[in-house]
Amino acid sequence: MGYVIAIPLLPALAFGVLAPLSNRARNAAIWVPVAAVCGSLLLSLAAFARVWPGGHEGEAVYRASAVFATLGSVNLHAGVLLDPISAVMLVVVTLVGAAVQVYSVGYMHRDERIGWYFAVLSLFTAAMLALVLSDNFLQLYMAWEVMGLCSYLLIGFWHEQEAPRKASLKAFLTTRVGDVGFVLGLAVMYATAGSFDFAVVLHGFTWVPATATAVSLLFLFGAIGKSAQVPLHVWLPDAMAGPTPASALIHAATMVAAGVFLVARALPIFQASGVALTVTMIVGVTTAIVGGLLAAVQHDIKKVLAYSTISQLGYMFFALGAGGIVAGIFHLMTHAFFKSLLFLGAGVIIHAAHTQDMREMGGLAKKMPVTTATFTIGSLALAGIFPFSGFWSKDEILTVLWTEGHYVVFALALAAAFVTAFYVARLWFRVFTGPEQTPELAEAHAEMLVPMGVLAAITAVIGFGSPYFARFLGHTGAWPEAGIALTSTAVAGLGLALGWCAYGRRTKVINTRPLKERAGFVYDALAMKLYFDLTYDYFIVKQYARLADALWAFDHTVIDGAVNGAGAIWKAGADVGALFDTYVIDGAVNGTATLVRAAGAKVRRIQVGRIQAYQGLMVGALVLLMLWFVVKGA
Amino acid sequence: MTETVNGAVFLALSFATIGGAVMMLSTRNVVHAAFWLLEVMIATAGLYLLLSAEFLALVQVLVYAGSVSVLVLFTIMLTLRRREDAIRPFEPGWSAGVLAALFGGAVLFAAERFFSQPRPGVMPETVPDVAAFGEKLFGTWAVPFEIASLVLLVALVGAVWWSGGEGR
Amino acid sequence: MTIMQPVGVLSFVALSAVLFALGLYGALSRRSTVMVLMSLELMANAININLVALSRFSAPAEMTGQFFAVFSMVVSAAEIGLGLALVLALYRQRKTVEIDAMQELKG
Repeated sequence: MGYVIAIPLLPALAFGVLAPLSNRARNAAIWVPVAAVCGSLLLSLAAFARVWPGGHEGEAVYRASAVFATLGSVNLHAGVLLDPISAVMLVVVTLVGAAVQVYSVGYMHRDERIGWYFAVLSLFTAAMLALVLSDNFLQLYMAWEVMGLCSYLLIGFWHEQEAPRKASLKAFLTTRVGDVGFVLGLAVMYATAGSFDFAVVLHGFTWVPATATAVSLLFLFGAIGKSAQVPLHVWLPDAMAGPTPASALIHAATMVAAGVFLVARALPIFQASGVALTVTMIVGVTTAIVGGLLAAVQHDIKKVLAYSTISQLGYMFFALGAGGIVAGIFHLMTHAFFKSLLFLGAGVIIHAAHTQDMREMGGLAKKMPVTTATFTIGSLALAGIFPFSGFWSKDEILTVLWTEGHYVVFALALAAAFVTAFYVARLWFRVFTGPEQTPELAEAHAEMLVPMGVLAAITAVIGFGSPYFARFLGHTGAWPEAGIALTSTAVAGLGLALGWCAYGRRTKVINTRPLKERAGFVYDALAMKLYFDLTYDYFIVKQYARLADALWAFDHTVIDGAVNGAGAIWKAGADVGALFDTYVIDGAVNGTATLVRAAGAKVRRIQVGRIQAYQGLMVGALVLLMLWFVVKGA
Repeated sequence: MTETVNGAVFLALSFATIGGAVMMLSTRNVVHAAFWLLEVMIATAGLYLLLSAEFLALVQVLVYAGSVSVLVLFTIMLTLRRREDAIRPFEPGWSAGVLAALFGGAVLFAAERFFSQPRPGVMPETVPDVAAFGEKLFGTWAVPFEIASLVLLVALVGAVWWSGGEGR
Repeated sequence: MTIMQPVGVLSFVALSAVLFALGLYGALSRRSTVMVLMSLELMANAININLVALSRFSAPAEMTGQFFAVFSMVVSAAEIGLGLALVLALYRQRKTVEIDAMQELKG
């Protein structure tokens, strides 16, 4: 079983091989990462077969760990833990990773820096695999941050342009806000449980509800940032500025699902808290609806998919919040496959239509049969239509909500499903039907179509594995109940029908202006992304800039005065001290105070902008500090 | 048995060090200042010898007296257009002087006041030689040593990059 | 202290303090970037003397202070190399080595 360690090491090795090469040599060596990820895929399948027929979460089939750092008496471990959940995630990550890399060979072949792209993709894959295999939260966090870095690098891959550059920064900073929560959670966890190991903190430690709530809410905050949940979802749509296959892997299938994975792993802590589960559910259901509504008004095909991802991740969150770990992970898996399929399809469409704006597309079905077929499968899966994978996982989530008695959330989830079906129909009809707007449409190369075909095949059949999947994770599995299945299908069908009414029955380029005018207020709100970005811009970015201005003004006026004032205050303090101190010390202090004041008056004149002025200020502060120690010591 | 530092030698060396520093700061010619810096560095090497740090003394001469002074001189020459540019107006910098004096005074006062280490002028005798120093450098301190070499490499690349041709 | 009398650790500390103060004065007052860098070297030197002296008087067998001084030398050598490269870059752009020319970061 030692080969499990090799699963994340292979892509890491590929990165190690590629990174130091010259640009040209790197471009010639892109087969190395592809081979590495394929090797990982084979090993993952072997590991999966070994874990079959499954067991409980945390029951390790294989584990190994080693100390990687010693801080005082604390040993920090790095290790691998192969249990049913990590086995599933391994297969998902390597499968999607392999598909995306093969696809990228075709998609990126004209790019000058394709080698670097593949190197970062490998590093990302390695980090994600290390994350799902980790046996403690610290290693999980480290892999989490490496993924954040790769995400940043790939979003800003075309950094010559402004939009990707800004988007990468936004993504990095926004997720960083969440990461602060994660780190604080780790600190609280270590302070209470004295360990990061899953075995200890999840199964061997009795959590007090209060600390469990603190830890789980902080973890949830980290997950909200990484998985682009409301209110930290704003980075994901902008992240679409990166290369499309990278979006498929990182911003649809794997990295954004890491937050879900974190919550799923830490679920025992969440359950010990109770409150945290409710919060998770509220965050999830809000995100599912907000994301779906926003997806329905986007014109950029990738942004539709991005908001759709946000919405679907919300589904996973409220599934976990309702305690449905099987349903949540199952949806994570099916979503990874069909959403990466949709993104890869979108990449082909963008290549063919030379635009990302759906208003400038149309009639692609005739010229691109393979893409249309695979994309349709993905779309139907996303909408939740039998027999495609999304139907099964969505039904499982709905079943969990129903049996656990969360009827309000159940209704909201159905509403989200309705919106989902609507925007799927909108996307599909706009792109594939109607008049052609691009002259020379052509089908993509085989190396792009084959991965899509594989993902489509998986999407078409994997749903039937639903009960076996539950058993694999150590729960009792069952086929979906007829009532819930029918309800959800009916809702999805209604959504598709509405979409067809609005966008399907057209022969010309359609005009949705009447609709917009009738629902002007709602549409405007949605078109402005529900004002999230504007709010952040106004309350955070602008205020930060104002604060910086204010600080500068403060520097300009107050600090100057403070240098003088410090002398005076010092003198006053020394006068008080004189009551206790000897006469000599008092005199000395007064003398130095006068000196400091004189020096301050001089320093004041050379303020602002000069290096030496700042240096002087620094030394002055140091002198004051030392004098304080001297006086205190005396 | 203890060793002692010869007071006369110490006085001579500290006079050379401090005097050199004063001259470096008071001369108006930048080139002269560079040479005074060289003198300070060599005097410091003597102090290291006094403290039985032979290897450090050697490195001091090689690195500071050898390369750093040459580097400084080259920079001065490269950035002077005329010979007269080397002469600069005297910059008294009173506030800086007061601040520095205050700082030095505070340190001296604190050192005199709170020093609890052996006051008498005796040094413990057991002094390892250069061979022991080398063994430790490549044993206990091997990793920091390698990191230090990496730092130097990065600095080298950075310096070449910054001072490189007009193309950038 | 009479001449020929053994010298204590405090003398070294005092010497280093004076040297450091001189360097500080130079770094704060000189207009020429080269002079500022030279003053910084003076300060680094003062610190090294301190390190070696304290190590010699307190724990000579360990030689920790000497090793720290070696690394400190490495760092200050790197620093002066980079600093002088910066001076050259500045000179090429502005045709001057005055430190006042570097005010880009002014608020």
